[in-house]
Amino acid sequence: MSSDFPPYISTQLHYLLNHFPDKLKIENVWSGSKHYSVTLDRFTLVIPYCLDTIKWDIIYNLEFPLAAPDVIFGPDDEDFHRFLMMPGEGDRDSRSRAEFAMSDWNNKDPTRLLALIKELRDQYAAYQRWRAGEIDDDRLKFEISTIMTREGIEMQIISGADKTEEVKFGVPLMHMNINKLVSACPWRHPQKIYLQVIYPVARKYASAPSAPRLKLMSPPELKALFSIDDVKLPSWLDGMCMAEYLPNLEESLGKQVFEAVTLIDFRRSFIEALAPLFGRPLEADPVFCRKATFLATSGPFAFLVYFLLSTQFPKQQPVLMLQSTQHFQSQGVPIKSALLSDYPWSPRWEVSQMAERIFEFLVDEALNFKRYCNESQLQH
Amino acid sequence: MNDLALQKIAVSGPTLASMIERINSSPGDTDGLLFGDVASITPTTLSDDPSQTHSDSLLVATISGFLCFNSPLSFYDSAGRVDPTRITTHLNQKTLIGWFSSRRKTPLRPSMREFSVTYSLYSIPNLSLPIQNPNFSFNFRPSIFLLFTTPLQDQLIHTNQYRAYQFLSPKQCFNPVSIDIVNIGPAFRGHYGSFSPNSALPFLSCELRNSTAMNEDRADSYLSGMKQAAKDQAELDMCAEGMEIGKLSQLMGPQAANYTAGLEQLYEKMLAKIESLSRLVEASSAKVLEQENQNRKLRLKVARPTGAE
Repeated sequence: MSSDFPPYISTQLHYLLNHFPDKLKIENVWSGSKHYSVTLDRFTLVIPYCLDTIKWDIIYNLEFPLAAPDVIFGPDDEDFHRFLMMPGEGDRDSRSRAEFAMSDWNNKDPTRLLALIKELRDQYAAYQRWRAGEIDDDRLKFEISTIMTREGIEMQIISGADKTEEVKFGVPLMHMNINKLVSACPWRHPQKIYLQVIYPVARKYASAPSAPRLKLMSPPELKALFSIDDVKLPSWLDGMCMAEYLPNLEESLGKQVFEAVTLIDFRRSFIEALAPLFGRPLEADPVFCRKATFLATSGPFAFLVYFLLSTQFPKQQPVLMLQSTQHFQSQGVPIKSALLSDYPWSPRWEVSQMAERIFEFLVDEALNFKRYCNESQLQH
Repeated sequence: MNDLALQKIAVSGPTLASMIERINSSPGDTDGLLFGDVASITPTTLSDDPSQTHSDSLLVATISGFLCFNSPLSFYDSAGRVDPTRITTHLNQKTLIGWFSSRRKTPLRPSMREFSVTYSLYSIPNLSLPIQNPNFSFNFRPSIFLLFTTPLQDQLIHTNQYRAYQFLSPKQCFNPVSIDIVNIGPAFRGHYGSFSPNSALPFLSCELRNSTAMNEDRADSYLSGMKQAAKDQAELDMCAEGMEIGKLSQLMGPQAANYTAGLEQLYEKMLAKIESLSRLVEASSAKVLEQENQNRKLRLKVARPTGAE
């Protein structure tokens, strides 16, 4: 991807992508040079912000390698420039925020681009907070003042097509480190569950303010452990505020996440219970125990059995799929069965009993599948 | 004090064209200073409708010249802080009204640094231009920003795009201003009403001397006459090549028949001067290009990590 950047840019870019706390994406790469158009020096960075992304163009200059890159923000963020010209906060010196971010540039220091993007993203968050604070809406002012101290909370103003404005809050829930709960955790970025709260900005003289729109969000990888789609959100009562709503939600969500973690071990014990009947699995998902594949035989007919376990296991029974090792379709693709999920099951059985009942079911199903395979092959 | 918003920015076709030419020929991104004038013009729209009032005068900035540095970061640093000393050396009694930036294949909106530079340039004291008007008077600060980019995808027809902004202080924002390209033609005659040539023929004290200079008996007056003639000749040499000062006398006096021939000769010599000037420019441009290539090689060498080749 970055093979065509000159070394001083690609070093900084790699360092940025590997060390940024969130997952960054490079969307577009190109060259601004007249003479060396194969050597790249500018790219679009896609940065996660407030459960969405912002896109910034980073403009290096191939002809002037010692110069710091320039940044072009999104078309809707013109006011961000003005914010950057304001003096910085706290014990920083009197330099403006922009000067602070750009100072001490050194093209030989691989960490400089990371420092610049981190600083600018922090400033962007402060800018959106500042904008939200400027909105003349009593309920919003109250929400912001009570929730501001919450760590990691982000805000964004969304302007609709018909000049309606909404304020979106990205609220990280629970202080638990989900990555640490999972042994041999494969996730590079911390898994967090967020509540997205969207408040419509109240028009003056409007009737009672409407309830905010609520939605749980999480990185897609979390689905392997816990699906937020299965969570039923507590209802938002009239006149409620976030500080009231969040503790209950966090408590119930926390329980569900702990339960999801203990279910990993249950799935593991189930897969282990299959081994005495089916033999050692050909492959199995060792971290989340969501998948296992066994080789089975019915007389001379050998076939693979795929076990797909949902996060709701054992409430939901495993989905099975059979695949022949001997029958192929015309393109050489092995013949597979449909997904099988309609067989005797009780979540209250012991794991050994679950394994036995599936084994019994498959003794009969193997004959059906063999017949199906022979028929499908004849058609070709 | 609040700034007055410009209604438009006028630039002559040749000035804009030569800016674009400079930008296109530069190897990478570049920037430069804009010189010109700001005036309030009362529009002369004639109308029979008495309900329309024309008391408003338009504030128009005219870009009459520019200085392209052929590189970015020419008068400011990475953080966008302008170094006033790097500007004043280029001023030479010209009026700074703003700056421009050009970058290839980028979106046509100001970048973070461009905003900082404009803000910094605007904030420099002693660079403002007093505007006098019957109704008001104020100081115009160098607040114009002209942005040139090229489209993100290469295109055959649409190769350059530009947009002009004025930085307005109370809101601290870029206000888009339309650009009016002034061309030669009846519609634009008004713009040339105040035209004054940049390089006029020098004022020469070409008094009708007696052709028989030998009659002069006073040596000192003869010497001072010689001195004056040499000085005049040097001044004339700036405008024409190989034109003797004495021949200018053909343009005066009783021999009116000689006027045409004398004038033609003068024009011919002036053209010869321009010719030789352009040859000089050509030769020095070649040297500049050579030096630029050398500089680029050095820059790339400096940027290369140590040890790598």
